[in-house]
Formats: sequence, structure tokens, C-alpha cells
Amino acid sequence: MLSREICQQVLAAAVGTGADYAELFAENTVQHAINMIASKVDTVKDTVIAGVGIRVFKGLRSVSASTVDTSLEGLLRCAHQAADALGEGDAPMQIVLQERLFGDIHPIKIVPQSVSNAQKVEILKEGYFAAKEYDPAISQVTGTIMDVDHNILIATSEGLYTQDRQIRTRLAISAIAEKDGQTQTGSFNPGARMGLELFDSVIPSQVGIRAAKQAVTMVNAGYCPAGVMPVAIDNGFGGVIFHEACGHSLEASSVAYGRSQFTGKLGQKIANEKVTAIDDGTIPNAWGSINMDDEGTPAKRNVLIEKGVLKTYMVDKFNGRRMGMESTGNARRQSYAYTTTSRMTNTFIAPGTDCNEDIIASMEYGLYAKEMGGGSVNPVTGEFNFTVSEGYMVRNGEICEPVRGASLVGKGSQVIQDIDMVGSQLDMGQGMCGSSSGSIPTNVGQPMIRVRSITVGGR
Amino acid sequence: MNYQSFKQSVIARAEALGITEYELYYMTAESTSISAFAHEMNEFSASTEGGVCFRCIVDGKMGYASTESLTQEQAASIVEKAADNARTLEAEEPVFLAAGGQVYASLDRENYELPETEELIRSVLDTQEKLYAAGAVDGCTSRGIRERSMVGIFNSKGLDLCQENTVAGFIVGAVVARGEEKTNDYQIALGKLDTLDTQVLTQKAVDTALGKLGGEAAPTGVYPVVFDPEAMSDLLGVFSGVFSSEAAQKGLSKFAKAEDTVVASPMVTIVDDPFHPENPQPMPFDAEGSPTCKKNVVEQGVLKTLLYNLKTANMAGKKTTGNAAKANYDAPIVVRPFSMYLASGEYTQAQLLEKAQNGVFINSLSGLHAGANPVTGDFSLQSAGFMIEYGQKTRAVKSFTVAGNFYDLLKGIIAVGDDLRLPMATGMTAYGAPSVLVEGLSIAGK
Repeated sequence: MLSREICQQVLAAAVGTGADYAELFAENTVQHAINMIASKVDTVKDTVIAGVGIRVFKGLRSVSASTVDTSLEGLLRCAHQAADALGEGDAPMQIVLQERLFGDIHPIKIVPQSVSNAQKVEILKEGYFAAKEYDPAISQVTGTIMDVDHNILIATSEGLYTQDRQIRTRLAISAIAEKDGQTQTGSFNPGARMGLELFDSVIPSQVGIRAAKQAVTMVNAGYCPAGVMPVAIDNGFGGVIFHEACGHSLEASSVAYGRSQFTGKLGQKIANEKVTAIDDGTIPNAWGSINMDDEGTPAKRNVLIEKGVLKTYMVDKFNGRRMGMESTGNARRQSYAYTTTSRMTNTFIAPGTDCNEDIIASMEYGLYAKEMGGGSVNPVTGEFNFTVSEGYMVRNGEICEPVRGASLVGKGSQVIQDIDMVGSQLDMGQGMCGSSSGSIPTNVGQPMIRVRSITVGGR
Repeated sequence: MNYQSFKQSVIARAEALGITEYELYYMTAESTSISAFAHEMNEFSASTEGGVCFRCIVDGKMGYASTESLTQEQAASIVEKAADNARTLEAEEPVFLAAGGQVYASLDRENYELPETEELIRSVLDTQEKLYAAGAVDGCTSRGIRERSMVGIFNSKGLDLCQENTVAGFIVGAVVARGEEKTNDYQIALGKLDTLDTQVLTQKAVDTALGKLGGEAAPTGVYPVVFDPEAMSDLLGVFSGVFSSEAAQKGLSKFAKAEDTVVASPMVTIVDDPFHPENPQPMPFDAEGSPTCKKNVVEQGVLKTLLYNLKTANMAGKKTTGNAAKANYDAPIVVRPFSMYLASGEYTQAQLLEKAQNGVFINSLSGLHAGANPVTGDFSLQSAGFMIEYGQKTRAVKSFTVAGNFYDLLKGIIAVGDDLRLPMATGMTAYGAPSVLVEGLSIAGK
């Protein structure tokens, strides 16, 4: 991508009006996706994303500018635009860039761009038709195989000049089951920071079957009753409860501005002592993993909450200034055109000591949430919601009939105190998390947990 | 290289490969966003984004490839990739490019002038002061935006269209507190900067936030519900896909054979109007280059037409309604409304509350991307609002859910208000509604 000399020149222009820090982020990304619907390959998407984002700081002010014109002239124009917006001043700063390479902890075996459409279609079809043929009730299936080859270069006025290549692959199958004019959906979307070797461990037909099975189970289910009750949330994508109820409120983008339920609570007990929660960008080849973040800070494993006590927030360089905290390696952006901020990577509740059978057996009347959908949160109030895509009633300690249409709502600061049982089998699920710096891949995870009391939306 | 020479390179490469039916779609946006916090500007960002999408028909299939990088190399590469992608496709429905020489509506609105940076900064800082003056506490955010965007479509059938749009406005976030309890609200106003009343906007953000303080969960049960225009617009927006012919043809909407049948209460008329004055991006042509038009999708409860593009209209033996859309320059063509709204009825909001007698008034829905399933119509959504007791709004309620099914809800609308608003555009589409009274929906609270 861009040479050290060019970056040096552009950064020098960016600090020209007295910035105390400047950063250049260059990107070249190839996105590829093949979709199927109605048993046919329906669309193929191929996109090249290429551009540069420049950011300068002066104290607690940040200016960013981005451009698709990556000629030296275009970059200098962009740098001057950022510098001018910062105001007047001069630039005593000397910038000398030195190349630094962080180790690659997420090696890739089969680069997706080296694989033909035909081979990818074959994988997609295996998953697609496994869902389609699972049950006569399956009325429609959609499927996507996608891969992203995201190449980034970061240079800063502190002398950093580094590059990283982030490849990820995902298979997504959604099934629709129909019965008596009613439809229900099921889906499963595993992905990893891997190439096509993902399918050595993820069997496409199993993906399709899991999606179809969920749709068929739900089309045969009645509506979930509404009320306040204990809920057991299973492992894997169930971790979305921590992501929404708590994770977003621990991002510096909320905390730094006093816009989080957890501002000023470092060192305090904010959760049940059964809860230890971790954000770990270093898990080899995990969906949310990085070698370095989008400010060039190496990926870290951060214990956010240890036995109920708040240990740290997720911090980026800019918001860290306001908080007086160092970056925790959580600065992320969808692309050069977005302004970086603090985000999650792979965020999960650590394994505890309870066993799943005891969790279910402890519930006289409640809900067992086997699979979760997405959700959202207002970090200011901590009020969150998320949906249960596959749920079952629990009566007298036994899992009973499936129920559809359930959602869970509550307040983050309350629900993490109400997590009073934590199982031992950790698993993760993959999601795309949307926030001010765009849509980024994140893992959520947990073992099975019990929330002793929560509002279940149903009817 | 600039767009014009890039275009020439693309055409040359397509012709060299013997591709005779192709289209080049070009989109750019120059945008600026200025944020203020604690009375000071804290973030400024300016971006120039854009790219091109090349589509071509090879062996009866439509292949796509896109790039942001306008180089000689990329010009050749997108043509080759699109042709290769076309050969991977299996869908057998005939595909089309729009014909040239069609007649397009002329927009009666001129693009307004965008504010200079200085003016935008000054106005954003001014909204900060107004938020605090209106009773907000630390943590308020203000943001000002301006954007100039351009869409161009050129194809081998003689089509060559271009449309520029400007948008500017404010997003204000008020935080309010009472004792330990904090809550917040966002309000958005788009338009020519000096026509926007920031006094009203900031006061509304503060007042709405204050209204959420002290709220408890609503009691669980089945109640009549009055949705305010924002909540109803959100519902219509998330379920607007049910009116897509593409969704219907693929079994993703229940309206496959529902045209000319009753799908809603007789009080319901739903309009799609690309030229609505409150649509921030009025468009004379759709993403395929077909002319856009205003139409009643539902008229007094009867589904008059689904929304079509060239491919789905051909499948149904109809004409396109000019509703082809792209979520981004590189996205495949889908079907979407431009500004879709539920038309006003005859009742004031107070009369709707009076008719409801005892129920729940909902003015905020959250988590729509997750809690509403556009395929099944089911929703179960985090809500906030007020209880309705003896026909009056009484105590604030929050952290409860409202659940139902959109298809049933359309039929369960008992009365429609006269207060139509199009609160906010979601991407390219603006959705709107007046207040509506709906019979028995399930509320889950305490």
C-alpha cells in the first residue's frame, strides 16, 4: 500500500496546525458474497473498498477526514482538510516512521480469493440443501457464503508504521417453515477469522440442519407467555445478553462522557460474584479477533469484570485521553470512512462451576432460552432488549414444550447482579455489531447461565 | 483517474469482451459531521465516499462487481469479475436493464444550500447551550451534519441519468436526571439549517427525556394500544418489506396473492411517495433508472399493489412501480419504498386516547432489528410510554414489551389519528404515520 515516505509526508501535513497526534489509516478490502434463494444461486457480490482516513488530535478534540483519492495529492488535500478543521497553530513535531510488525496470531491456510466461485457454491449448496431437505415444512431457504480480505496500514505521528491482513469467512443459512398459513424462521451463521479452512471444522450440512430444525421446532410451538420469571440462557450466542446488557456500557465511547450506567464504578462490585467477564481479541482465528486494533495497539485480553468487580473499561486512544486511561486495544472501525472508537472483540462470561442440569432443575417455572437473536441497549440507562429465537418452558425443573416470539428486556446493572448460576461449558457465537464506527465482527459467548428474574415479553 | 475516463475504460473493456448489455452505477457522497460535548466541539469528521457498480447481462444472467478505486486496472477488473459472476448464477428469471428515453418527473424542490463549516459549528454549539438551558444535565451531545450526494446511472440502452441531493441537520441528545436516575432522548431535524427551529428541537429532546424519568414497567396483560407517530413509523418501517413483490415471489411475505384483497382495516391507506416534501432524498428515478411515482399501496384496507422493479414486474406480468433500490452502490438491486406512510385519519390523538379508555400509549420502540421478524410478521419489542387511564395519559411506563403480529395489527387498527409525521429517514427511505389505536396487544411488564 502506501510507502513510509508518503505516510511521513502526509502525517507532517496533518499536524501542520498544531495537532499533538496524527494517524493515517489506509485500507484495501475485497469483499465477496454468493447468495442462494429458491434453490438457485441468485446473486454474487464483489466489492473493492479502498481509501484512507486521517485523524488528528489536539487535547480533547479530534478531527477526522477520509478520501478515496489515494494519490499523494489527494492524501495531502485530505490531511490539510483535517489540519484546517483543527484550527490555527504551527507544527514543531518531527515525525520519523519505523516499520513494526506484530506477530500474526491468526494464520490463514486457504486464502478465499484463491478459491473459485464454483468451489464456494459447492460449500453453500451443501448447507443450503441440507436445510431445504430437512423437513417437508421447510418452505424457503436463503443462504450466503461470504469472505472478506481486509488489508490495513496504520502510520502515526508517534513513529508507528505497520500493516495487517484480516481475512474472515462465514456461512449463513436461514430457513423458513410453514404450517397452517403461519411461518417461523431459523438460522445459523458460523464464521471465523479464517479462510476456507473454516469448513474443516464447520460442516456446511450441519449448519443447514441446525437452521431448519430451529424453524420446524418454532413453527410447531405456541407463543411464549408473558411475565417475570427465571430464565436459563444457553451457551454460545446466548452471550449476547452480556454484550447488550453490559458490554456496550463498558465502551469508552459511553463511559468517557458520563453516558454509561458504569461510569465511575472501577473497582466496585457491579455484578454477581459468579460473573467474570472478559474481552479477548487474541483468541486464535476467532471471529472478533485482531492482531492489532485500528489504532495500531496490539490485541489484548482484558478482564472486564472479575468475580463481580469492575476491573477495566474497553478504551481507545481518543476517549482514553478524557478518561486518563491507556488504550486497551479496543479501537475499531468498519472502514477508513468511519471514525474509530472503542468496541468489543470477543466478549464472554468466563466458565463457572455450576452444571447445566442443576441450572434447569433449579427452576420451578421459567424459560430455557436455547438460541438467541440480536438485541440493543441504551448505554445511558442500561435498558436492553434481545430476542429468544428458540425457547422452551421449564416446569418443575424439566424442559417442556417449545415457545416462540419471546424477548427479554431489563436493565444491565440489574441483570448482571441477577446472574446467579454460571455453567462450565463456554461456547461462542458470531455476530455483526453495529455502532458509531460501523458494523464490525464480534464474538459473544458464555456457558449456560441463570438469570433469577427477568421480564419475558410474549403473549 | 476521474469518473468520465474510468467510464470510458469500462465501456472499452466491456466491448472488447463482447458484452453488449451493461450498466454503470455511480454514487458519491461528501459529508461532514461535527459533534459537541460539554459546550465544546470535540469531533469533526469529513468524508468523501463513493464507488461504482458495473452490472452486465451474460447468457441471460446479471453479474455485478464494484469498486471504490477508479483506476485503469479496476476498470478492466470489474468488467471481468461481473461477467465471471454472471456465469456462476443459476436463477432463471429474465433480467432487464431500463430503456433510455423515458420521461421523468421534475422535482418541485431545489437542493438547498449547505451550511459553511463555521456556521455548522456555531449552530451545533448553540444547540448545546439550548439543551442545558432547557434543563438537561452533563452528558448531552449535539451533532450537526451536512452531505452532498450524487447518483448517476449509465447503460448500454441509452440511459444516462444523474441526480444530486443535499441534506443538512441536527441530532441532539439530551440527558436528564432526577436523583440517581438518568435517562435520555434523541431528536433529529433535517433541512436547510436556517429553517430548523433548534429551540423546539432541544426542548422536545429534554421534555421527552423528562417524561421517561420515574417510569416503571407496565402491568402484564392485553390492552388497546395507542402508538404515537414515531413508534408507528418505526413499525411500518421494519415491516415495509411485506409490500415487496420480491419478498412475496420468494415466499418471504404473505402478500404473494393478496393484491386486490382486504389486508387491513378500512381505515388504513398506505402511500409510497418518492416526492414527499419530508423525504430528505427525493428521487425522479429508481436504482435501475426507471421513473418513480406516487401510488397507494393499500387503499382503505385493500392491497392495491405491491412494489415492483423490472425483474419482479416481469415475473408478475405487470409494469415496474419504480421501486428498485440499492442499499449502497455495491449492493444488489432490491425492492424498497421511497417514502412510505400511513395516511392521516380524522381523529386527534386525544380522541384516540379517549376511545382507548384504558390501555397503553407507546412513544418509543427499541431493538427493532432484532425483535421484529419481517418474514413472519411477529414482533416483541422493548417499549416506553404512558398508561392510558379513563381516556387520559397518566404515569410513565418503560422496560416492558409489546408483542403481536404485523399482519394482524393492520387489521386490528380501530382508529387513525390526524397527526401524520415522517420522523426520520432510515437510509434511503423515510417512513411516516399518524398516531393509531390498535386493539388488544400483549404487554409484558411486571
